[in-house]
Amino acid sequence: MIPVSVVTGFLGAGKTTLLRRVLADPAWADSAVIVNEFGEVPLDHELLAASEEVLVNVSTGCLCCVVRTDLTATLMDLARRRASGELPAYRRVLIETSGLADPAPILHALMTDAAVAETHRLCAVVTLVDALHGAAALDRHPEARRQAMLADRILVTKPDLGDAAALGAVLAGINPDAPLRAAAHGAVEPGWLFAPGSPIPLPGPEARHSAGLGSIVIEREAPVPALALTLWMQALAEHCGARLLRLKGLVALAEEPARPMVVHAIQHVVHPPDWLERWPGGDRRTRIVLIGQGIPRHFPVRLLAAIEAEVAGSLR
Amino acid sequence: MTPPELRDLVADALALWEVPEGPPRRVAVIEGGVALEGFGLRVLPAAAEDLPIRWWIERPGQRRPCTSVTGLLRGLRNAVGAGEGEARRLRVAGS
Repeated sequence: MIPVSVVTGFLGAGKTTLLRRVLADPAWADSAVIVNEFGEVPLDHELLAASEEVLVNVSTGCLCCVVRTDLTATLMDLARRRASGELPAYRRVLIETSGLADPAPILHALMTDAAVAETHRLCAVVTLVDALHGAAALDRHPEARRQAMLADRILVTKPDLGDAAALGAVLAGINPDAPLRAAAHGAVEPGWLFAPGSPIPLPGPEARHSAGLGSIVIEREAPVPALALTLWMQALAEHCGARLLRLKGLVALAEEPARPMVVHAIQHVVHPPDWLERWPGGDRRTRIVLIGQGIPRHFPVRLLAAIEAEVAGSLR
Repeated sequence: MTPPELRDLVADALALWEVPEGPPRRVAVIEGGVALEGFGLRVLPAAAEDLPIRWWIERPGQRRPCTSVTGLLRGLRNAVGAGEGEARRLRVAGS
């Protein structure tokens, strides 16, 4: 499986600068890069110092709107040429979205295309927010907020030009579970940025909301029956619809509590579950983060409790 | 599920569904269940001997059985006029 990471961030956030820096690192030079620019004259890809062969520019429109099929076709074309030896055996794919892209449809496309899902694995969503204009962009542009909401990791760029600490506080309110760092000129370890997305939410308040977008943390002490988890996720998909943006977490299944199951869903599309060998940090509680818009903050946990009780009653 | 727990779940669901405007609505605990005031609906747990029926949605002259809490929510959603909204089925990535 080829890991795929998505680098997003509002216009001018420094995505291309970051990728130039990443690709200059010998350990990361063997990356294929897909650049999506929203404009007729592609420029960003000219700025990237990667091999021509593994740098693809998709500039017919915004990835999240009109060229999702282009993205999946591009990924598969790259993989085919990699397999045939026509391209170097790149070890990962980095996708730079346009600044106006909503990451959710892109992630959705990556997960729902059967061929892509068979050969590629979504690794991390990295969102860049610049300290100079980032707060205003978050305030004015819903795309910027959704980019921050869906991030596995957030990088505050241009910290020397603005109040990075204040921006960090704003971002913590939008996506409290995403680790955040600040770095100028893309000077950050790629290994931190593109590590597989951590589905481990931090213990904390059960809900945080901001302008309708919010994350809800669900924690359960007792292992959850697989049937209850499935019914719960189905009910969330059914009743939350498009309001449910993302769900990720570690689950102690009643049927196999010794190791955690990693759940990951974008809207109503669920990634086949992965298993970790052991519980990280010894904390064996189920912890699920749900990111959504306009979802009553207690609804998911109340629903899960009701379903768990019903399933437990059936099993008795 | 106790009646107050049922009230809270139903109230959350009504908020989530964005039920069309109408007369003032409230979910109130009644003996054994909850009443959806303004909708003329009541939700009551079924007796143990009624299994597999677990819940009843009642309106004057009608009684609808539900075999699960997920079925109850689906039935209530239709009963309050929220339709199916953007209801979606789960899909496994790549399938």
